[in-house]
Amino acid sequence: MKNIGSIIGFAIAGMFVMSVWGAFVEAYGIFGGWFAGLIIISIMWFMNHFLGLVANEGAFVDMAAGIAITGTLRDVFLKGVQAGIDSLPTLAFVAIGAAIGGITAVAVEKMWAERDAAISAKSKEISM
Amino acid sequence: MTFPKIIATMAGGFIFPFLIRLLWGKLVDNFGPIGGWLAAGFIVGTTWTLNHGVGLIYQSGAAWIDMAWAAFVGLFVASALSGDDVGKGIGMVINAILGGILGGFILYCLYV
Repeated sequence: MKNIGSIIGFAIAGMFVMSVWGAFVEAYGIFGGWFAGLIIISIMWFMNHFLGLVANEGAFVDMAAGIAITGTLRDVFLKGVQAGIDSLPTLAFVAIGAAIGGITAVAVEKMWAERDAAISAKSKEISM
Repeated sequence: MTFPKIIATMAGGFIFPFLIRLLWGKLVDNFGPIGGWLAAGFIVGTTWTLNHGVGLIYQSGAAWIDMAWAAFVGLFVASALSGDDVGKGIGMVINAILGGILGGFILYCLYV
């Protein structure tokens, strides 16, 4: 059930984002896109990650994985495999940027942790 | 894909998981679950305006590459780097692929 729940969570998040989001953009332009993020991602996050329909136990897989794959495969099903092949350069560079972003964020977290440890050590010194 | 588009696309990929990893948890710590609503609007919504609204992520083909790919890859790498179990994570990636096939197929049925 853990796996079935996770698959359902990924699929529902992907379906909302890859259909309703674009409709909001068509209707209201860039503000529609911002608003779609608010109304879709909020409740999908609450279901998938806060309550835990996506049962993450190991390295974290965001519901974004389901959204990303749904969007790309939707177009591969509709437009053919060549459409997917043509999109591989974008996918590759997004992934490279993302990996660097993730690595950098962990480095920033480490820096913040050291800063906070230094501050609390100092305040301990003063109180002694 | 020209060199400027490559730089723009990589920058778009960098920003999204960077913001999620550093800000989302803090928002939830500070505001409880409602922090997730703030994150949805001000991290995902606002980053969408940059990456897709004005188009920082260039689309080289007709199959949509969403910034969600960046959140997936970036957060997985960050999590693995901070010591979480990659093997168990791969199991969940397989679930994501199955969910993505299911979702993509249902939307194909909607639009075909």
